[in-house]
Formats: sequence, C-alpha cells, structure tokens
Amino acid sequence: MAIRITIPGIIRLAWLRSPDEIVAANDSGVVQRSLSGLGGLVQRSIAAKLAVFRTPDGDTWPAFRDRADPLRTKHQKELEKTLSDTRTLLKRVAPETGALASYIRSGSTNRPPEIIVQQMVGRLFFEDYAASEESYDAAHTLQTWVSGGPIKSYLLKASGALKRALDLIITLARGNTSCAHATAIAMHNIVDAVERMRQLAKTADNLKTLSPQDAIASALRAPKQVVRETRDGGPVCGTHLGARTLVVLRLESARQQRPDVGIEFFAKGWNQCPAHAVVPSLLAEIWKKAKAAKA
Amino acid sequence: MSRENDGFEFHPTRLQRFLDVAYRFINVFVRWDQLPTMLAAFNIAAFRDRLRAHNLHHTGYGAKSPGPWKPGYERWRSPDGSYNCPGHPRMGMAGTRFARNIPLAEGVPETGDALLEPSPRLISRELLARHEFIPAPTLNLLAAAWIQFEIHNWFSHGRPEAGNEFKVPLPRGDDWPEKATFDGCMHIQRTAHDETKREPWLGATPTFINFNSHWWDAGQLYGHNHHTQMKIRSERDGKIRFDGEMLPEDPDMEGVDFTGFNDNWWIGLALLHNLFAREHNSICDALKSAYPKWNDEELFQHARLINGALIAKIHTVEWTPGILAHPALQFGMPAQWWGVHQRWLHLLLGEDNEVSRGIVGSATDQHSAPYAMTEEFTAVYRMHPLLPDTVSIRPFEKGASETLDFINVQGKKTRALMKKHGFLNVLYSLGTQNPGALRIRNYPNFLRQFQKDRVRDKTKPAPPLMDMAAIDIMRDRERGVPRYNRFRELIGKKRVTSFEEITSIPGIAEKLREIYKDVDRVDLLVGLMSEDLPEGFGFSDTAFRAFILMASRRLKSDRFFTDDFRPEIYTELGLDWIRNNAMKSVLLRHFPRLGPALEGVNNCFSPWNVVT
Repeated sequence: MAIRITIPGIIRLAWLRSPDEIVAANDSGVVQRSLSGLGGLVQRSIAAKLAVFRTPDGDTWPAFRDRADPLRTKHQKELEKTLSDTRTLLKRVAPETGALASYIRSGSTNRPPEIIVQQMVGRLFFEDYAASEESYDAAHTLQTWVSGGPIKSYLLKASGALKRALDLIITLARGNTSCAHATAIAMHNIVDAVERMRQLAKTADNLKTLSPQDAIASALRAPKQVVRETRDGGPVCGTHLGARTLVVLRLESARQQRPDVGIEFFAKGWNQCPAHAVVPSLLAEIWKKAKAAKA
Repeated sequence: MSRENDGFEFHPTRLQRFLDVAYRFINVFVRWDQLPTMLAAFNIAAFRDRLRAHNLHHTGYGAKSPGPWKPGYERWRSPDGSYNCPGHPRMGMAGTRFARNIPLAEGVPETGDALLEPSPRLISRELLARHEFIPAPTLNLLAAAWIQFEIHNWFSHGRPEAGNEFKVPLPRGDDWPEKATFDGCMHIQRTAHDETKREPWLGATPTFINFNSHWWDAGQLYGHNHHTQMKIRSERDGKIRFDGEMLPEDPDMEGVDFTGFNDNWWIGLALLHNLFAREHNSICDALKSAYPKWNDEELFQHARLINGALIAKIHTVEWTPGILAHPALQFGMPAQWWGVHQRWLHLLLGEDNEVSRGIVGSATDQHSAPYAMTEEFTAVYRMHPLLPDTVSIRPFEKGASETLDFINVQGKKTRALMKKHGFLNVLYSLGTQNPGALRIRNYPNFLRQFQKDRVRDKTKPAPPLMDMAAIDIMRDRERGVPRYNRFRELIGKKRVTSFEEITSIPGIAEKLREIYKDVDRVDLLVGLMSEDLPEGFGFSDTAFRAFILMASRRLKSDRFFTDDFRPEIYTELGLDWIRNNAMKSVLLRHFPRLGPALEGVNNCFSPWNVVT
C-alpha cells in the first residue's frame, strides 16, 4: 500500500514498497523517469540534484533517460550486448577480482577495495581504465551529492567539488555516459556487496560452505530507493496519484519482501539494468577465487 | 552545440526582476485581466519576461548548412529565411525544426493505448461538432481568412505521410463513411517524419520540420525558396506576375492561384493574396519613381521587405486587438509596435527600451533560445471554428445574395467563384459577415468529413477523407504537446482541479467528465475552446500566454524588425509606407469603391457597414 504525503508547496510524495506496486509503477505510462522539479520545494531540490548528470553538451546519462527515448533503448541494447560476454569480461578484470578475493579472504589489499571495484567496473568498458584515490573521491562526492542533505549539497556545489568530480568522472569515462554512471554511482552497490561478502567470510566457515550463489544472495542488495514522477494524475496500481507526485520506489524493501523478482536490476522491465548478468558473475567469481585460495 | 539553447540566455533587468516578483504577489489576489488598464498591460509584460526566461527550448536546427551567402542578404531577406541572424545562419530557415515552449522532457508523446484515449473521433462528435453556429459578433470573416493567411507564413509541417496511420476505432453507430473505414477504424495519417540526425540531448522528444521559414517574412506571398520566388515574379520592375486582374492559376492545382503557399485555398485566402500582391506592385511603382535606377531585383526585394512589414503591422495593431478586445491589449498591442510615448516612461526605462519605443526598431534579442516557431504555438493556433459552414455572397451594389456551402467556396471552385462575383463583392461579403467563435461545439461540420481536391497529376494518390477535428486532437498528441492541464502549468498558470473550473458553459463540464473522467486528460484544444474567457477575449487566456511570448518574439528576434528597421535598409519611402498605411488604406487603394462600407469602421476586421 502506497504511503502518501502532501504538504502544499513543499512536497507531494508517494512511497511504494511492495514488489507488485513497484513493478506496476515502473511499467505505468503515468510515471516518468525525468523529474520536472514542479510540485514542491523538495521536488525542485531533487530534480536540481539529478539535473547535473549530463555531459557538457547536455547529453543526459542513460539511467536518467525516459522510457520512450530512442537513444536509451539503443544504449541499453548495445551495453547489454557488451556486458553479456561475461567470459571475456571476467578474463579482462581477473587482476581486480583476484585482489578483491584476497580482500574478502584476508581483509587486506594493496589498494582500498572501493578503488579496485571502481577500476573493475571501469574496465568492463575500457581495458585500460585506471581508478585512483582521486577518481574514487569523485565518485564518493557524486554519491554524497545525490544522497546528502541540503547543507552538504550546497557546500559541494559552492566549493566547486561537484563540478570537479563530474569532470573527472566524465574524462576518465572518455565521454561514455554509461561508463560514467557505472563508475560514479552504480559501483557503490558493488562496493557494499563486496563489504558484505567480507563480513560473511569473516564469520564461521562461510567461505568454505557457502556457494557463490548463496553468497551473492546474502551480499547483493538493490539500491535503497529510486525516484520517479507523475507528469499528470492517473491510476498507478489501483491508487490514483495526483499530478507531479514524487514517486519513491523502495527497491531494497521490495527485494527483502520477495527476493526472487529481480527487483535489484528491474529484471524483465523496460529499464532492465544492462549489468544484470555481469554483476552477479563478477561477485560469483570473486567469491570463487576467495574460496579457492582458502582451500 | 550545447543543449542549453545554443548558448542563448535571457538577462532580465532589475526592473524586470522587480515586476516579476511584484506581479507574482499581486496575481495571488487579482487576475491580470481584472487590473486597471496600465497595470494589466505591465502584468502582461511581466508574464512575457517570465516566459522568455523559462519557456523557450531549442530542439536543434535539424537542417544542414544553408545555401551560400549572396550579396544583398545584408539588406534584404533571403528567400528561405537563412542569414537573418548572421552569426547563426540556419536560425529560422525553412527546413529547420520547430522548437518548444516547454522543457523537452515534457514534450514526450504518450504511448500505446493512452495516445488514442479518449478516442479523437468521439471528441470530434461529442465535443467539437457544431450543433448551432456560434458567431463571433465583433469580427468579420476576413479576420478568419487573415489568420490562415498568416499561419501559412509561419508554419507548415508538410504533407502527412501515408502508411503507418493511427487507427482510431469507430464506435458502433458512428456515421463515418464506410468507404473510409478500415477494419472498423478511421485512419489518421502521421505528421511528416523528421529525417535529420537527432542530437542525443533531445531524449524522447519528437522533432518536426517547419517547411516554411519561421520568420515573419510574408512567405505565404513570396514562397519559402528561391525557385518558388522566381516563379511568382514577373521579372519586370520588381513586380509579382498577374494574369489579368488575378494572380495566375497554379499549374498543379485546378482553381487555385499560384502564390508562395496555397494549401487549403478558399475565397478568403484568394482575396488576401491578391490584395497584398497588388500592394506589392504598388510599392514597386512608388519605389521605381523614387529610385529610377534600381533594377528588378532591388525593387522586388525592397517591396517584399516593406510589404512584409506592413502585413506584420496590420496583424499586430489591428487583427490582434480585434480578436482580443481587452483594454490592456487595445493599449498594449499598438505599444508593441509604436512604443508608449510618455515622457515619464522614457525617463524610467530609457529611450531604447522595447516598452517605451516599441519592439520595432529596438535591439534584436533572441532571449533564451535561437528563434524558431514552436509546436505549442502551432497548437494554440488551431482555430478552425472561425470558419462557418456557409458563406453568403452579397453584391456590393444591387442584386440578390447567394448562400453557398463552404465546400463550394474553396479548392478548385475558388477561381471560378472569384471571377463570377468579382473581388469587390466577395470582399464586401466577407467584411459584412461574422466568423465562428472559438468555442466548444463550434467546429465546422464540413471539415469533419472533408476531402481535399486531387492535384492535376493523377499519378499522385487522391487525398484521404479527413475528420479535421479528430486530426487536430491527434496532432497535438502525436507531437507531445501536453494536454490542457499540464499545458496550463507549464505556461505559468495553475492547474485546475475540476471540470467546473475550466468552463461554465452549460452542460460542457458534465460532458467533459463523461468523456475524460480525469481532468488531467482533457485535450489542449478542448480545454482552450471550453475555457471561460476574459472580458473581450476571442480566445482563451491559456492560449494567450503562448501568444504573449511568441507574438512579440516574431518581431524581437528578427533583425529586419529591430536592428535593421532603418532607412538604410527599408528606404525612407519604405518606412513611411509602413507607418502611414493600415488595412483600410490598403483596401481602399485597390478597391476605392469600398469607401461607404468602411466609413467609420475603426478596425477592418470588425464587421463593415452594410450598404445594400
């Protein structure tokens, strides 16, 4: 059941938590990905935050493109094709998966694991992608920009840190907005998964007994939430949502209710994550390597 | 090229910022149209600045580079509108894209079933179809012809495409002819596809090409390319070619005059095209007397420039206040052209300000985007209810009048009718009868089952039978023009929350509820035609918001109305011609016998005196 909050001039919000609601809202023509900033101060602030994810030419990053956008479909297909060749990709990122396996096993690596994850993700796009502390800081800055409060966000913008971070991420991604999204935003989910795997490995003899699939099931989470907007009012999964409602899809909550629906990747939806196959493969490979070394 | 409107930005002055804030506050308590005249006029100016800052959105030019620069383009308009803005030669050129008045992400059409919901045919039958002719008593039928004449200057989406038509299911009992029904559906052709390369930042917003030049350059008379322009010219003394008293017949279209743009021809268009072609030739005569050494090209191009500006002036200071008879507009529209000659205002705003001196002759400014006509402006210009279903031809002197179905005063029948009755009688007839009002349930029924004439080339397919009312609905939907409520919001008005807030016309709110169920689903055209009007207005306040922005932009962005509106370009004679003439003087120059019909008539688009 959707939770709705309306404070005129401030916010009009609907929180969707059940898997059925989320799938229905995601498929509904009433709910859009692009945020207009209309409807209240909170909407305006969130839309302004997401509006920065553009190239200097104004090209919107793929994850923020609308359903009917022909380029989104094209990007998605191309990327899906590239990322579906998991065998080649796993070979390409073998040093990174090895290093992460070592981290899971022993808790130590030559470089911080989050930098290794960023490099691993970047190398899915470019064989010679090189992450650094600076590039990870940039990704962290962007993550803080998205999820941080208004004061933090203001400071990031006013200090120029936000622009520097965006410029660096886009430069490293060579203008490839899919790569930029993966190495700046999506990678944090993998960092969290690796960290959970590390916790798993520390406890009892999990590393010995748990299969890669079980480890992934325990470690991989969906993003906590994503936001959408209704342009006009209309019915969404049996509820009428008013125009300019900020629709918050609580993905992790839905995944916990029903782990099998693939909500973490919007599996089978129009916006299915192109990395839906490669991310579990990477995590499985890391766990396997960690397990093998232990043996 | 950046998505951020190709580098253009709006820079409001301190006074504009102040007025914006002040009027936001005032409008919480009082609507603009209920303010005293001067305050209301400044309220409109505040709306315009707000719209200039937020409602101009570039969609890319689409077209490749224009043709080469030719000597003379610095002094007169190129045939296709290129080089009007020397730094951006494609701006406004024929063959470039329509822009938008809404953020691009808001201009995404609905998909699947939603696109056809509710059925445009149902809307045509239940909401738009004329039950009884509702006249616009303050206007004459020339006002209807005039706006069509002007629209043919500004925009054309080209011929719709056959194949992949929208299939609109017909309800049981629909009277749509069997011969035009396919598997129980009415077909509606799609707008011509934009074949040019899409920029990645366009997202899901569809783009369409304007086949006409976007500028206010009288392209309906002179054509939108060099080839057409040369065909209409006599190549003697700069004049337009005539065949006796009339423009020659189009070799491709029986009964239709050959001119710059002659789609959807009828006697109203024939009158205005012939009138302003004659005016062009009169300007040529005057120019030749003043500048005897000028060749055909100099004479033609200068006459074109002067005639085009005269048409723009008539539209601004006569047609618009005619249809928007609110005191603020009666004051504001002439001020837009001439300025406000009040000393205090000049001291307050400066001599070069567009309010104090008028837009014409002020500095060129594109504001926040490169100039182009927009899809939303096209949408608010859907004014078919202005047309009646019948036209009376009244002899100016004596004889019986004849009432003809509109279908018999258009297309291939036009020239024969003009020859039979003569220009004077047809002008007088249109000047003395009312057009339809732009209201719901006043859409001409002949257009709801209309077939255009076939061209002479019989290898080309016959045009399909059309329900223009249903097509008007589908055009807005397919082009991603928002529905009425969202359009209101995006153009700076509050959304309505009930059907009753839109209209007080008896029975309409209930009908809207029955058909649309949800107030957010009401189509733009239906909302505009249903909306309660401000005092004196001939169309809705919502449509007016788009006009506030775009009507002045047509002047302000065009260097020939701003930086280059000067004697070195137009000649002193040209500026005098524009200053000293109006619709009445043009009519009387070419049809002096109309004198008694126009005596005491202040606006030639209001009904003339009936003298017989």
